[in-house]
Amino acid sequence: MPAVRLMLNPMRTAQQGVNVNIGKDGDEYKEITTTLSVHEEDMAALGVEDGAEVVVRTEHGEADFVCKTAKVPQGLVFVPYGPPTCQLMGGDTDGTGMPTSKGWDVEIIPRSELDS
Amino acid sequence: MGGKVTCTLGEVKQRADFIVYWGGNPAECHPRHFTKYTLMQKSKFLPRGRKDRTVVLVDIRETKSAKAADHFLQVRPGKDFELLTIMRAMIKGQDVPEAQVAETGISIEVLRDLIEKMKKAKYGVMFFGMGLSMTRGKHMNAAALLTFAAEMNAFTKFVAMPMRGHGNVTGADVIMRWQTGYPFGISLNRGYPRYNPGEFSTVDVLVRGDTDCAFIIGADPGATMPKPAIDHLAKVPTIVLDPHVTHTSRLSRVHITTAPAGIAAPGTGYRMDEVPMPLKPALNSPYPSDEEVVRRIKEVIATKPDWMTNQPQMIESQV
Repeated sequence: MPAVRLMLNPMRTAQQGVNVNIGKDGDEYKEITTTLSVHEEDMAALGVEDGAEVVVRTEHGEADFVCKTAKVPQGLVFVPYGPPTCQLMGGDTDGTGMPTSKGWDVEIIPRSELDS
Repeated sequence: MGGKVTCTLGEVKQRADFIVYWGGNPAECHPRHFTKYTLMQKSKFLPRGRKDRTVVLVDIRETKSAKAADHFLQVRPGKDFELLTIMRAMIKGQDVPEAQVAETGISIEVLRDLIEKMKKAKYGVMFFGMGLSMTRGKHMNAAALLTFAAEMNAFTKFVAMPMRGHGNVTGADVIMRWQTGYPFGISLNRGYPRYNPGEFSTVDVLVRGDTDCAFIIGADPGATMPKPAIDHLAKVPTIVLDPHVTHTSRLSRVHITTAPAGIAAPGTGYRMDEVPMPLKPALNSPYPSDEEVVRRIKEVIATKPDWMTNQPQMIESQV
């Protein structure tokens, strides 16, 4: 199964906000910030099911995530901001002071593909 | 483009009968916004509360906030600026090709209906979030929305307001503005403030490696900034003031635990409408406040010789 290119949009959730205050070392925070919400057609294209580990790559870096089927537009994937998304973010701000924090073109590869 | 036609949240609560959320998800990110200010409140001018208000959500996906909205417009990713520009043209009665409108993901009929409703409103407000300001286009998207809100005042009252992040980010902007004239991206290394986003803004300074020390107060860039910026923080002496041990603490040389502001330390927090709110601590803390730590560090630094005296870049040397 080839790598799939999708658009990643980091975002915020209420549970993420709660866990920022509970502690970023907690298992729940780590789970929230590594769970990738994916459309079911994109899951099929990736050849993975809920709970599958994937590697997400941008031109700036890569990080590990876990896939979960969600009601999101096809072609777009979402994950709450956190240390894993920092690995994917580029440092260029286009002269604005703000790095591009959403709408990244990413390559997603199932972990099982890389291990085999 | 420039300027912001805005108001306080009190005015929104009392008067706003047409509310637009653009690129924000208040149901998740600002959970009290609906109930305290925009949707549910009854007021002198809107006695039936929710029934007197129309709510529109513009976003690239159907979030939890969509359930609370009367109208949901699913814009294509990266097409916010185009959609705002098209709407600015349409309110003035200018022709817009349907094909261009379709590229935004919204049909022209939907836009015509929306604009008619906006013009009939008595008091409209546009709130915009990171979905607008952190995608491609960034500040130009925000500027387009602010201009749109200003131009709507040719037809009815309209204002705009950013949906600010957690903590006291609004306070940081406001204080920097009245102290230096600029909200962020400021360099004081010549002894007077200079403003240049992209040059003096935090991420750029760190990514270029321009700084040889970092002092972080109440923020966790180690879990929010791009990796090249985090890598530089780990290289230089970084000092962190935070109630928690954070990702930034782990890469810093010094972490000073402080009392959480507003909970165990007094102070002033700025609401997203830039209204200052006094914070009365509910708990006692064995730790000092951020203010006290900064004051004590400043006192020690004041005993050191002034490294800037007679430097050629000082104003006194240039006039």
